[in-house]
Amino acid sequence: MNHLRRFVARLFGLFGNRRIEEDLSREIASHLALLEEDFRRQGMTADEARLAARRTYGGVEHAKQLHRNERSILWLERTLQNIRFSIRQLRKSPGFTTVAILTLALGIGAVTSVFSVVNGVLLKPFAFRDPGRLVVLRETQDELRGKASAIPDNYRHYVNLKQNSKTLEDAAVLGQGASSLSSPGDHPHMVGTVASSPNLFRLLGVRPMLGRDLLDSDAVPGAESVVLLSYEGWQSLFQGNPQIIGQSFRMGMTTHTVVGVLPPGIRFPQIALSPNITFQEMGGTRDPVVFGAFVPSERDLKTDDGDFNYKVIARLKPGATLEQARAELNGLQHAYSLSAHLPVHLGIAISPLAQDVTSGISAALWLLLAAVGGVLLIGCVNLAHLQLARTTAAMRETAVRAALGANGLQLVMARLTESLVLAAAGGLAGVALAFAGVRLLLALVPANVPRLNEVQVNWPVLLFAAGLSTFSAILFGILPALRSMRVPPQTVLQANSSRAANTRESRHTRSLLMAAEVACTVVLLIVTSLVLRSFSRLLRQDRGFDSGQTTAAQVNLLTPRYDNDKVKNVQAVKLDFTDRVLAALQTLPGVQSVGITSAMPLTGETWVDQLERPDHPVPEAERPLINVRFVNPDYVSTMHIPLVAGRNLSPDDRANPWVALISEKTARDGFPGEDPVGRKMQGLVPDDNHPITVIGVVADSKINGLKNTADMVYLPYWSWTPWTLTFLVRSSQSSDALMPAMRRAIWNVDPEVAIPTLKPMNEQLSDSVASDRFQVEVLTSFAASALVLALMGIYGVLAYSVSLRHQEFGIRIALGSKKSALMQLVLRQAAFPVLLGTGVGLTLSFVALRWMRSMLYQAPNMDPVAIGGSLLAIFAVAIVAAILPARHAASVDPMQALRIQ
Amino acid sequence: MSSEEPIQLLQGTLDLIVLRTLATMGPRHAYQIATRLQQVSDRLLNVNQGTLYPALVRLEQYGWIKGTWSLTENNREAKFYAITKAGLRAMGEETLRWKRMAGLVERLLVEESQS
Repeated sequence: MNHLRRFVARLFGLFGNRRIEEDLSREIASHLALLEEDFRRQGMTADEARLAARRTYGGVEHAKQLHRNERSILWLERTLQNIRFSIRQLRKSPGFTTVAILTLALGIGAVTSVFSVVNGVLLKPFAFRDPGRLVVLRETQDELRGKASAIPDNYRHYVNLKQNSKTLEDAAVLGQGASSLSSPGDHPHMVGTVASSPNLFRLLGVRPMLGRDLLDSDAVPGAESVVLLSYEGWQSLFQGNPQIIGQSFRMGMTTHTVVGVLPPGIRFPQIALSPNITFQEMGGTRDPVVFGAFVPSERDLKTDDGDFNYKVIARLKPGATLEQARAELNGLQHAYSLSAHLPVHLGIAISPLAQDVTSGISAALWLLLAAVGGVLLIGCVNLAHLQLARTTAAMRETAVRAALGANGLQLVMARLTESLVLAAAGGLAGVALAFAGVRLLLALVPANVPRLNEVQVNWPVLLFAAGLSTFSAILFGILPALRSMRVPPQTVLQANSSRAANTRESRHTRSLLMAAEVACTVVLLIVTSLVLRSFSRLLRQDRGFDSGQTTAAQVNLLTPRYDNDKVKNVQAVKLDFTDRVLAALQTLPGVQSVGITSAMPLTGETWVDQLERPDHPVPEAERPLINVRFVNPDYVSTMHIPLVAGRNLSPDDRANPWVALISEKTARDGFPGEDPVGRKMQGLVPDDNHPITVIGVVADSKINGLKNTADMVYLPYWSWTPWTLTFLVRSSQSSDALMPAMRRAIWNVDPEVAIPTLKPMNEQLSDSVASDRFQVEVLTSFAASALVLALMGIYGVLAYSVSLRHQEFGIRIALGSKKSALMQLVLRQAAFPVLLGTGVGLTLSFVALRWMRSMLYQAPNMDPVAIGGSLLAIFAVAIVAAILPARHAASVDPMQALRIQ
Repeated sequence: MSSEEPIQLLQGTLDLIVLRTLATMGPRHAYQIATRLQQVSDRLLNVNQGTLYPALVRLEQYGWIKGTWSLTENNREAKFYAITKAGLRAMGEETLRWKRMAGLVERLLVEESQS
């Protein structure tokens, strides 16, 4: 308590100084007067008494200093002094101060913005209980090795794992999707949904805010469908109606009753079914809003060797590690494969939830953070050089301090304080910029990046910015500060300042700074140009289809009219809808052709099945994996996918629709060395086992995603019509005019269906590479900033050293040196650090390249264009930066230069 | 070591001496405290009187003494320090601590001379 009181008193001692000082002087004066009086009384003369009093008292200033040291916190007082002094010094050189603060503000602002995204998407823990122990489970099959790393889960396998595992506390099975929510007086719109085993929120450690959680009795066949709403969904869909519990609404094919509302901020992440699937289906990622109970179907309860359809989230027991769980679950899967006599060997793929959700974007985000960190680093190198020059200029002052007894640490702190003051100002401005920067990034970042709505400038981010500012200050301030410690006072006080600045040591330091800057820039340039070239390869390759002049409308038939369970012969109803929409779309003005496909193009590999041939049985492990699509005859012509063998689907196939088109890759993988036309396949149409005849082969296309060519099988929609279909309209009219007409045409046929996506195919194409584009755009702007900073930096170093050697150049000219020789002198001085930096940069880029190879699309081992282009850019910049100081050196007037000193 | 040589003050000794001085003699100004210090120490603690000031400011910041300006009997102004209630309490504790410490050192020395 007393210590606290004293601490507070000492803190105040820093400020209320004048009054205390006056009081102290008064007290000392009175003390001396009393002493003097006593001595006089002992018989001394007035002068003698005064001297004796002084002697007895000791040094007045010394006593005062002791008093000051005791009453306040010395280091703090010194720091405040240093800060005041730094601010005064900085005010004297507004140019330097402005450049420094601007550089730091932009650098720290940019890094902080990118970090906010990294923090929100990758680092921030989920709002669940002990989120570090949540894991995602997927299955593996030895037989699929090399084809698929992991597949979704089978229901029975999930039950086996959940019941027998000793490393898992609990596990929940779930499916995620989107459903159409009908709203009175309006067409339906799509909301994100989750159907899970009722223990999901118990497993996550989340309790409903209103109402109750899902119960086991909600997940039995025939139970009334009850749901939980997310807080955000409750607000947006039901305006936060407090009487919501017990109310019903229609979503998809059935009516659901609300039993509970989750607390705010509980956002359930999108978990990928398998690692290769992106979430562009259903019109982009949505936070799930409606959480229902998953009721396993008859088929789920029976099937052991197929129907890998679900996602499983589990919680590790306290103390159990990921490795232990992996080993145990793998063992359980192996045992199950044997005991159930499965034709395959099952295994497990387990990954922490946070990592799993962001696996697609984390490398790209870290790369951006590294890149923007590099830009800040280059800025800091520039500032280090400026600080070095200022330290040199302030050497006399430092020497005086040292001569008066300041120790090394005090000298370093005196110089470092200036850098810290600059960094504090830059950091504050940077945080202000980061608020805008985050908004800018969020506008650029593709919508399918998970957890984007959790990105914000919050406390951890501010803390990071503060740390970053301090770190930058030390980065650019420590070198100059340390130099001031090694200043020998006498030489500096005798010599002139430019001689002190132009020692061999300081020249080396400047060269090293320049080399470091060039190295950083080279790495950034090479990384950026590799990513840029990868992106351009992605866009400019032959895709095998034509997205121009085509507009896509995705339609969702999940309404009671098409309910499998309630409507008899639902296939006929779906077919009727599809035919009527097709006819309506064909009559729109300017329409050349209308295609149908069951999966929106460029949304990844979906409906993956095994190619099974009745005439040519092969073990399951060797069957190629194919993507099945249900299309109409005009699909291939609408997409401009050429037919290479056999014939296209034709209206004549309608009566006997057991035919198929396959892609060239399917022909190669499934019918090696054979003519596939006329061959049979089976088991591709749901609930039907007709053998299917291959009637034609079409060219390969990257219709599922620009990064890979999948094995495709196209079946006519007459054999089976999907609930989610996409109409592709090729028209001479612009998409803008076409889209409202398409929407009207579809809703004319059935106003109850939802249209989750309606957009030009070119936009869909562009959206499918949105994260690549985002990376390219942001990286390019970082690389450009790095180049500009490097230009400024190299120019600054050379201009400064030329100014220091002004006199020397004058003498050289006076002695007959040619101008070109002087220019060469300066350029040579620049050449060494630039070449050194380039060499180091190249080496570092090869290291970086190995790490980022997986992010690049079809990257060659060596990309001479990217590397050569980057080197060219840095050399061009170096020459531009060097030419001006070189010319300046050559144009020194010898008379003037010699007269200066 | 000759017993006439001035001894170095142990950390905290000065504080305790000041507190005891004020407790037994009532409010005193810095000069009086310094004089008293020299008297009780039999001039062993022969230090400059100015070195007393840090102890005074420290004790005042702890809230153990309080200084007020007043006049001496010769009508000169001086800052008189008085011990506070907290100061009395602290002095009790400090005295006890010193006695224990002294006892400990004493015991150690006795044991040493016996062995």
